[in-house]
Amino acid sequence: MPEVYIDGERYEFEGKPKLLQFILDQGLEVPYFCYHPSMSIPANCRQCMVKVGQPVRDRETGEFELDENGDRVIRWFPKLQTSCSIDVTDGMVVKTQESDELVRRAQKDNLEFILINHPLDCPICDQAGECPLQIQTYKYGPEGSRFEVKKVHKPKRVQLGPRVVLDAERCINCTRCTRFVDEVSKTHQLTITKRGDSNYPITAPGETFDDPYSLNTVDLCPVGALTSADFRFRARVWEMNQTPSIDITNGKGCNIDLWTRDNLVLRITPRHNPHVNDWWMPDKGREANRLFNENRISRPSVKIDGESQVKSSWNNAIETFVEHIESVKPEEILLIGSPHASVEENYLLTKLGNLMGWGTPHFTPHLNEGSGDGFLITDDQAPNTQGIRLLGLSENDNDQLAKRISDSGISCVIILNDALIDRNVLTEDLFDDTCLIYFGTNENKTSQSADLVFPITCVAEHAASYVNVDGRIQRSFPAKETKYSNRRLNLEMSEGRLDRYGTKFDNWVTEDNKVDCLPAWDLFALIGMRMGLDIEYEMGGREVMDEIGRKVPSFEGVSYEQMDDESGIALNIDSKKVKSKN
Amino acid sequence: MEYRFDKEELDQIEKIKARYPEVRPATLPVLWIAQNKFGHVGPKVQKLVAKTLDLPEAHIHGVAEFYTQYYKEEKGKFVLDVCTCLSCQVCGGYDILHYLEEKLGIETGETTEDGMFTIQQVECLGACGYAPMMQITNGVYVNHLTREKVDEVIEGLKNGKLPQFESKEMRKVNPQDR
Amino acid sequence: MASEWKNFEPVLIPDIANLRNIDVYLDNGGYEALKAVLGSEWTPSSVIGEVKAANIRGRGGAGFNAGLKWSFMPEPDGKPRYLACNGDESEPGTFKDRKLFEFNPHLFIEGALIAAYAMQCTTIYLYIRGEYIDWIHMMDRALQQAYDKGFIGENILGSDFSVDFYTHSGAGAYICGEETSMLESLEGKRGYPRVKPPFPAQNGLWGRPTTINNIETLANVPLVINKGADWFTSIGARNHPGSILYGISGQVNRPGVYELPSGVPILDLIHEVAGGVRNGKKLKAVIPGGSSTPVLRGDKLEGVTMDSDSLREAGSMLGTAGLVVMDEDTDMVDVLWRIAHFYHHESCGQCTPCREGTGWLEKVLLKIKNGEGEIRDLDLLLDVTTQMEGRTICALADAAAWPVRHTINRFRDEFEARCKRSTFATA
Repeated sequence: MPEVYIDGERYEFEGKPKLLQFILDQGLEVPYFCYHPSMSIPANCRQCMVKVGQPVRDRETGEFELDENGDRVIRWFPKLQTSCSIDVTDGMVVKTQESDELVRRAQKDNLEFILINHPLDCPICDQAGECPLQIQTYKYGPEGSRFEVKKVHKPKRVQLGPRVVLDAERCINCTRCTRFVDEVSKTHQLTITKRGDSNYPITAPGETFDDPYSLNTVDLCPVGALTSADFRFRARVWEMNQTPSIDITNGKGCNIDLWTRDNLVLRITPRHNPHVNDWWMPDKGREANRLFNENRISRPSVKIDGESQVKSSWNNAIETFVEHIESVKPEEILLIGSPHASVEENYLLTKLGNLMGWGTPHFTPHLNEGSGDGFLITDDQAPNTQGIRLLGLSENDNDQLAKRISDSGISCVIILNDALIDRNVLTEDLFDDTCLIYFGTNENKTSQSADLVFPITCVAEHAASYVNVDGRIQRSFPAKETKYSNRRLNLEMSEGRLDRYGTKFDNWVTEDNKVDCLPAWDLFALIGMRMGLDIEYEMGGREVMDEIGRKVPSFEGVSYEQMDDESGIALNIDSKKVKSKN
Repeated sequence: MEYRFDKEELDQIEKIKARYPEVRPATLPVLWIAQNKFGHVGPKVQKLVAKTLDLPEAHIHGVAEFYTQYYKEEKGKFVLDVCTCLSCQVCGGYDILHYLEEKLGIETGETTEDGMFTIQQVECLGACGYAPMMQITNGVYVNHLTREKVDEVIEGLKNGKLPQFESKEMRKVNPQDR
Repeated sequence: MASEWKNFEPVLIPDIANLRNIDVYLDNGGYEALKAVLGSEWTPSSVIGEVKAANIRGRGGAGFNAGLKWSFMPEPDGKPRYLACNGDESEPGTFKDRKLFEFNPHLFIEGALIAAYAMQCTTIYLYIRGEYIDWIHMMDRALQQAYDKGFIGENILGSDFSVDFYTHSGAGAYICGEETSMLESLEGKRGYPRVKPPFPAQNGLWGRPTTINNIETLANVPLVINKGADWFTSIGARNHPGSILYGISGQVNRPGVYELPSGVPILDLIHEVAGGVRNGKKLKAVIPGGSSTPVLRGDKLEGVTMDSDSLREAGSMLGTAGLVVMDEDTDMVDVLWRIAHFYHHESCGQCTPCREGTGWLEKVLLKIKNGEGEIRDLDLLLDVTTQMEGRTICALADAAAWPVRHTINRFRDEFEARCKRSTFATA
């Protein structure tokens, strides 16, 4: 197998990797700014310079020439090479900053250049703390600056579009943003303008950077030149906890990170998954933090005298549930599952229905025909349509569901987290004489029409799985605490620096943002217990999924462990049985 | 003002497009056609070019901003591009520039109030042997400038008379040196 | 070389009236070389072989053997291949290619056609800087004449060789003289030099094989075909044969473009050819080949000849053979600042060391020029040049760094004299 020597260590390689990517793949480091594995390689930042040579071979024999010590004679490239753009070749010898003074010097020189016109305003810059320029300057940069003349001034606080703000002085001209709009989102809305040290990225005059993927440029920007209009100045990155999760705003299931502070999700960023979303996500998915933070149902509500809802204790709500159920016949109860809820929640609803003789839950997909773009935005508005199809819930067209309620002698409808009235599948008057019990995360017309409302955890608060339009099952982690969960005790939850090392005076933790809600499995266990069923899952979603993996053929063998190891699992979906609509 | 290409220009643009295997290479030539017609390639003209070629506006903008000969705003009727680079510098290019500034009462980069003249300082125009020199509105080169010649040229321009193209013959080695 | 150059008769731009007219050109043996190569005696590879043997070294500044460059083109595969002629001519001190456009356009056109035949190119683009609008018009007329006579187009002179030939105007960007930047500009983009490899011969215009040659380089090709490589290599300096269009500017009595063999003693060029320094002043310095080539001191020119070997030994380069002559009154600080200003203005801004370094150099030099510099600023400048050199995609950073380094080193006293005395120094 071909070999390459990096700082004296031998490595084997396959194919035609670029040197920088190969080095990074070995867990080694060379500083860089402009390189990005999913875009073209302009080699313009010049930061990833290394020294590269090839062993000299004897022309006749093809053998390596050896020096007096028996080592291979190396012919070095006359100039340092950018490791991002050079192919690894057999026998190549590489010296990085770890082993070569000239390389160290070149990288330091380059950082000095980058910094001369940079405003050095880290204390007021959103990027500080997660800034490649800041980090690499600390590691490889010069101690001070010898630049004693005037810096170039460029536009600041330019609202490029509704979601992205530009500070051109911070820009280091890596062109990641312009390459993104040219190569990935293909809206071509940005260009570099001017020339030399006056250049910076901008839209055409009078045009708006409203690319539906515009915020990815903020993630890509290796400095604070592009910042998010929404997140700007809201938090320092080191005050937040970062938790892996899944985008639930459409059917693609982009892998994301939730950034929380004091149990508010302040920012959502994409998480790399080559099987789903690569490094990207649509802007719309980033607005989901409002769903998690605002307008949440907290504590159960009970409707009194058919008029207004009042908050209730959990015990009273469960008693009310039993009263409603016991006042009707089992066949008068209709269960409605939800493509917006997880596999585990829908499974438990189904299980409850089977045990109680209420029949299989129904559901209706949430599609918005024509809104998909063939990339990461789908017609499907829900994260788990495929999941509930695979669970075997009964699929209905929009008008079928309403007819089923009005025409089949239904007296009680139990809806799992789907705003069916808000999305005009059902109407309020259907529930004039029919009882509605709603298990939901957010206040909406549907929850407000209900006779009984149970607050359940949202994707940001529990570990649960979702099957995307392509049949890939992926899962979330709890990112924010509820009234009943605790970051220190729940091993699935991430602990931030301040959780671990902060005192109560420098940490932000309060009780204010903890929602009074329960995971569906805990809530169903309580209800089950009241009705004489033992459906308790001590390990929560993880245990529910293990059971699903044993009992539902489509999910055979699926477990959280495997999902975590393989960034989700592609389920074997039969396209004839399951409509896979984008 | 609304910017439009007429039939003749659109035909010319089609011919230019036919020279290349794709549309984008027509960017520079079409920006030239636009500038020759409208006197500049400001934002609205850039939009027209983008629309005509069906190319992204940001692309046209980036190209227009990269090349210095494209005027991104309206300029005077005559743009005096005075070279001050190297050979022109050592042969008095700055004297000519400052004389022009003084004579027209404007600074480099400005336009006279009557909209007649804009003075620009430019980099080497490739007329080093005929320094100091200037180019008028991306057109004719005026070589071997002196104060008197500048006076003459300005006077002529005020009357709408552009200087003639000056052919600079190849130099022959002096016969007596042979 | 002593004084053989005095007997040289120009071949690139011979003294024939109206040679730009195709009929006059034809009367003087024009397009014979093209006819010959399209005939049965030549093949594309024998043309390349002959040009390679002639060792026409690229006249755009890099000095690479043109025939060797052509031989890098891959085998034809039936898809488009391009020849791009570089008439950007923007290096300060350089004004020679426009002479060919004006006085002998068909020699260049013929050379380009032969080159295109040798490499089996399907289209030739002639990139000319936008400022040369009058010369672009001249070339458009000359190309039309050649089209009309059947030297360009389908089945040229009844052969199965067909090629199109178009001019393409730049719009004000020095960097577009860099060959890959020129390709980007031809493709209608911002003129950013490309990362090499891949080289244009593999991946040029629109991803197809492309060769880029300077105008003067191509103009030599018909001469080599007509008279043979041996004739060509007998002219001028051994390692850099042929005649050269010397552009002489600055403070001399007779500035202009002169065609003479390579290897003319630099002092002969200044004193005899260009009539000596103006107003009887003493010679202070010469930039031998355009602004990027290191300046030479006037008192160190004895024995230096205009060819790559001699100039390398003297500590400079032949570049574009555009000489800029400076007399004893020239302020070297001013000159260097202006050169630094040029490179700062023309840096495309792609690579960090060039984008930031060129501006830094200019700003520090301005400080020194204004009498506000300190001695340590000179050392800073030298440091910055080493930080820029060899660290970028194209050679513009090198071109910006060399003049600064060498001008300071060779005229250090003058720079120090302009610096403020440090508060602590020189008691």
